[in-house]
Amino acid sequence: MDDIDAMFSDMLQEMDLLTQSLGEEAESAPLPKPPTIPGPQEMNFSVGFTDFNASLHDLEDNDLDALMADLVADISATEEKFATEKDTLKGSAPVAPIPSQPPSNLSFPGSSSTLRQATSSNSIAATPPPPTSKPSKEELEEQIKADKIKLALEKLKEAKVKKLVVKVEIMDGSSKTLMVDERQTVRDVIDNLFEKTHCDCNVDWSVCETNPDLQTERGFEDHENLVEPLSTWTRDTENKVLFHEKKDKYEVFRNPQNFYMWKKDKKSLKDMKEKDKEQLLEENFCGASVIVPDLEGILYLKEDGKKSWKQRYFLLRASGLYYSPKGKTKASRDLVCLVQFDNVNVYYCKEYRIKYKAPTDHCFILKHSQIQKESQYIRYLCCDDEWTMTLWVTGIRIAKYGKQLYDNYKAAVRKAAGSATWASRSIQASSSASTPSPTPKARAANGHAPQPAVETKGSSNQTSFPPPPASMETLPPPPPDPMLPPPPPAPPSTNKVNQFPPPPQFPQSSFPPPPMDDLPPPPPPPPEDSELPPDFLPPPPPIFSSCGGEALPPPPPDPIASLPPPPALQNFASAGGAPPPPPPPPPPPAPAPAASKPAGSVRKVAPPPPKRTTPQLAAPSGGDLMSELMTAMQKKRTQ
Amino acid sequence: MAAWDLTVTVEDLGPDAPPLQISVTSDLHIGGVILKLVEQTNLKRDWSDHALWWEQKQQWLLRTGWTLDKCGVHADARLIFTPQHKPLRLGLPNGATLKMRACFSSPVFRTVMGICRVLNLRHPEELSLLRPVEEKKKKKDKDSSEELYDLTDVPLTAGSVQALYNGMPAHFADSPKTEAVYKMLSVSLPSPAPEAIAKLYRPASIVDKTHIHTRWLDSSRSLMQQGIQENDKLGLRFKYYTFHDMDPKYDAVRLTQLYEQARWAILLEDIDCTEEEMMLFGALQYHIGKQSLSQDMVSSCQGMDDLESALKSLEVKMVGDGNSTDMLDNMTAPELNDHLKIFRPKRLTLKGYKQYWCKFQETSISYYKSKEDRYGEPIQQLNLKGCEVAPDVNVAGQKFCIKLLIPAPEGMNEIYLRCENEKQYSQWMAACKLASKGLTLLDSSYQSEVQNIQTFLSMQRSSSAAPTSQTDESINTHSLVSPRYQKKYKPKQLTPRILEAYQNIAQLSLTSAILKFLQIWQALPDFGISYFMVRFKGSRKDEVLGIANNRLIRIDLGVGDVVKTWRYSNMRQWNVNWDIRQVAIEFDGNINIAFGCVNADCKVVHEYIGGYIFMSTRAQQQSDTLNEELFHKLTGGHEAL
Repeated sequence: MDDIDAMFSDMLQEMDLLTQSLGEEAESAPLPKPPTIPGPQEMNFSVGFTDFNASLHDLEDNDLDALMADLVADISATEEKFATEKDTLKGSAPVAPIPSQPPSNLSFPGSSSTLRQATSSNSIAATPPPPTSKPSKEELEEQIKADKIKLALEKLKEAKVKKLVVKVEIMDGSSKTLMVDERQTVRDVIDNLFEKTHCDCNVDWSVCETNPDLQTERGFEDHENLVEPLSTWTRDTENKVLFHEKKDKYEVFRNPQNFYMWKKDKKSLKDMKEKDKEQLLEENFCGASVIVPDLEGILYLKEDGKKSWKQRYFLLRASGLYYSPKGKTKASRDLVCLVQFDNVNVYYCKEYRIKYKAPTDHCFILKHSQIQKESQYIRYLCCDDEWTMTLWVTGIRIAKYGKQLYDNYKAAVRKAAGSATWASRSIQASSSASTPSPTPKARAANGHAPQPAVETKGSSNQTSFPPPPASMETLPPPPPDPMLPPPPPAPPSTNKVNQFPPPPQFPQSSFPPPPMDDLPPPPPPPPEDSELPPDFLPPPPPIFSSCGGEALPPPPPDPIASLPPPPALQNFASAGGAPPPPPPPPPPPAPAPAASKPAGSVRKVAPPPPKRTTPQLAAPSGGDLMSELMTAMQKKRTQ
Repeated sequence: MAAWDLTVTVEDLGPDAPPLQISVTSDLHIGGVILKLVEQTNLKRDWSDHALWWEQKQQWLLRTGWTLDKCGVHADARLIFTPQHKPLRLGLPNGATLKMRACFSSPVFRTVMGICRVLNLRHPEELSLLRPVEEKKKKKDKDSSEELYDLTDVPLTAGSVQALYNGMPAHFADSPKTEAVYKMLSVSLPSPAPEAIAKLYRPASIVDKTHIHTRWLDSSRSLMQQGIQENDKLGLRFKYYTFHDMDPKYDAVRLTQLYEQARWAILLEDIDCTEEEMMLFGALQYHIGKQSLSQDMVSSCQGMDDLESALKSLEVKMVGDGNSTDMLDNMTAPELNDHLKIFRPKRLTLKGYKQYWCKFQETSISYYKSKEDRYGEPIQQLNLKGCEVAPDVNVAGQKFCIKLLIPAPEGMNEIYLRCENEKQYSQWMAACKLASKGLTLLDSSYQSEVQNIQTFLSMQRSSSAAPTSQTDESINTHSLVSPRYQKKYKPKQLTPRILEAYQNIAQLSLTSAILKFLQIWQALPDFGISYFMVRFKGSRKDEVLGIANNRLIRIDLGVGDVVKTWRYSNMRQWNVNWDIRQVAIEFDGNINIAFGCVNADCKVVHEYIGGYIFMSTRAQQQSDTLNEELFHKLTGGHEAL
């Protein structure tokens, strides 16, 4: 029994470190990994930057703040969830962990008072029991054990979640950087961006990817996950993530007649009654199977490996894209299948007249999402005009996604309606929103109190939340200090994608972890540092943080005290008792490269990644811990 | 009032018995006539189902309160005293013939309701009866060998609520014989032999398809009135292609019969589909057939993922509850290790397969030069997540290859793995399949996937033997596709293609597979269109009118192209001029069309259009009772009202 207890304590400690470092990660976004975590496996990396340094440079102060807010909210939500569960379970026998998905959107009651409660319960929940001592409280041992298990499970889940820092370009050329975790759908990300950009929240806003090599653009569907497709981008990719309005995203649901009765004169369809449109949608999207628009007509198909484009008579069916070979009828039995949609996505293309000598510029391609360069596995198609292209691309989307698309639309409409009502309310409320004094911790999170709460909330609840706080833009961002040292070097990664501090792994060798309950981590000297390019300075000494600037992230918190660390300077006092800060992430150097041109000279500095033919993605971290536990238990059993 | 003699034949006295003469007056009501008749027969039995049928006028005298005078019966009338419910041979959608009692006196609409109640089919309004295709003379002798299911002993219950007993309606649970009938109704039948499919009638053109719909019975008149005799054969089919409120929980029979109807429509080329679609239909049929045979084995593959199950067992251990050593054993991540031959096709290389030591772990394959090198760096690691996996197998030639298309930024990496034998192949293939979906060997479906692949391979082995219908293990793939594809491909060529499609659906449960089949069927462009040969007013040539659940389609007979589509939502009114047998329809925007029917009765067309409109009213009124009156109003069944 003692064995197990001890092991559990160890495990919990590990967990705490892990959660901690998650918080730390927020502050120090692209910093070298904390020293306590040896041999990182890739977990988090950034997208939208040509390389690691670029991402560092591009992080603006407020981005950094926001990012951190995201992270802190993440963590505290997990803690809170556990805390509440603990409360409800008190006195009951050990209960099996609820094998539910981790919450895909973290629900937070809105007001700052509940936030305070949440964070204060954190400190209880997060307290790791000292490794050897028995719990001193009078609670039943069983109870504690159950709690520990639950805590461990929660943390394990949180640790397993892959996160990406994504830079999203907005139409006006500006950009936002946000943290996206793998559980979030594109819809969640859009909601998040609504909060950040204060646009009009209409249903046409979409997150798109562009590929300059192929000159393509595709809007992600709202139900898709963002992390997965972005993870397959190559390290040196110049692909971008955009956030803008796309008229054709849901046009089929506003004017279904234009798609389902495309053969008719468009003018005669213009005045279709709303009731008839609804009926069309009902017929085509609400039956046992979704009916795909019966598109057919001549398109140009680029021949395999050749430069020529050949006219073919194409037909769209639910099962795929077909054409009728020369001299045959268009009867189903004679059709030849060009492609089925299970494994491909459809992309709009730009300027293919020049690039591929296409007959017109209205081209679309079908390809596997991982293909990033010209390839024989891409199907190139060209239409006579833009409307035809929209028709086909939309038709293919319907064939591929079916009813999901309609559900997405309905959710988007609800969301838009919800935000419209509270956007108007927020105007009067915004002044008061910033006045209630938040908890120190909440303020500390990003120097702007209610932000994290609202941000997380936004994704979970559209109707009932309070007015949004004053926008980030209203606060002047902390001035960048030109005197700051250059950013610390990137940890040379074994994987091809940029990474920043991963959540701790538990490699086999390091189980029980070094005790570090109250010791500050030493500055990180990863062994690979010796290969650093010369233009990098070693990580700045800790002292910098105290005089460095407002945006500097704080020290890692004392794990016993509380989890979300206070990052801003003005709150340093409150964290005064904390141990000396770890190497802080300095704010980006003053001349940050333009958002649109992230490449430049910086890229050359980055150590080239080892080549790999097959992208190897993040390995799950939980497994290592599990196998550790396993071996430990097996050992125990054999004794 | 003067009395006169009425001649009535009582069927129960036997075919040779002379008609009875009873003395009646014109003001005697029908009930009185029956009473006199029964007294005269001197037979003691339950006469409650009997009624008078007036042969010359082809009508039932069902209103017992009416006098003979009011009914117009005079001394010259020849009446027959006969039961209203008689046995009927019903051809079911699944091809089986079921003998059961049906009502010969009520409108067909209500007769179908009664039949469906016995068969436990909900929403009888979607079904109707049709005359069978005229069989050729020489087939007559074969009829006797036809297997007959008999339900004639089962009484027609009036109640609509069916009590369940042993998972089936109580009236089926009476005897093993009726239980067998229920099994036939609710479980899809094995695939027929390919020759049987080829022998059956197939419509060769759209003109042939118009003939099918000339055979529907009139819903507003009784069977007797339409010349149907006792023990005649009629087909029971889904007529309207809008399937309301389908619920696998209550609709076991309905779902199965609908699936059978869809399956036969595809096998007999009633509805056209592409080759890719046919392969998927074939794979689904195979899967459904297999699942139906082993229906009791409920697979328990819950969606619990690896980590969570691992944690659960961990927790059990922690709490010290029971022994879970085996659970821990299971948790050491399984992997496959073996010698495989790998081939990467490249342009302008003649290099063939080369042997490597391969390790399958998580979702990737790592390969090494030799077994001894396995602890070093692999030559390459292939992550199969998101890749395409295709079999390249020839059992006779002992070729077991797995073709992998692994997506990479530059395109797809094409890699072939060659296995030594079936066992190795099925293990690696299953692992590849799971990995492409992001699942590992830990996944609970791994074993069943391996099994599925082995079964399918054995099928390929047996297909070279004499073709047989589906038995436990083997099946001829020819019986899964329509004759067109039977001709086009040999079983040897067909099996790998169906196998390919099969991989994507092998994990479906029986019900989901049936639903999937129906879904794909309903997504076919030509789904749910009933064709009629018509001649439009002002036109000189015959054309085809397609009637679907939401629209009318005018089709050019020569080319088969859609000329025009009218939607019911724009329809103002329609009516039938019974004198010239012409249907006239008015649409919004002053569009008027009129047409006469060439080969079908225009009542059938009228009923189809009205029927679909009736079906669309069901969504709003969610009550269980069927609005019979509305149906007859909409379909011109004034006779029944």
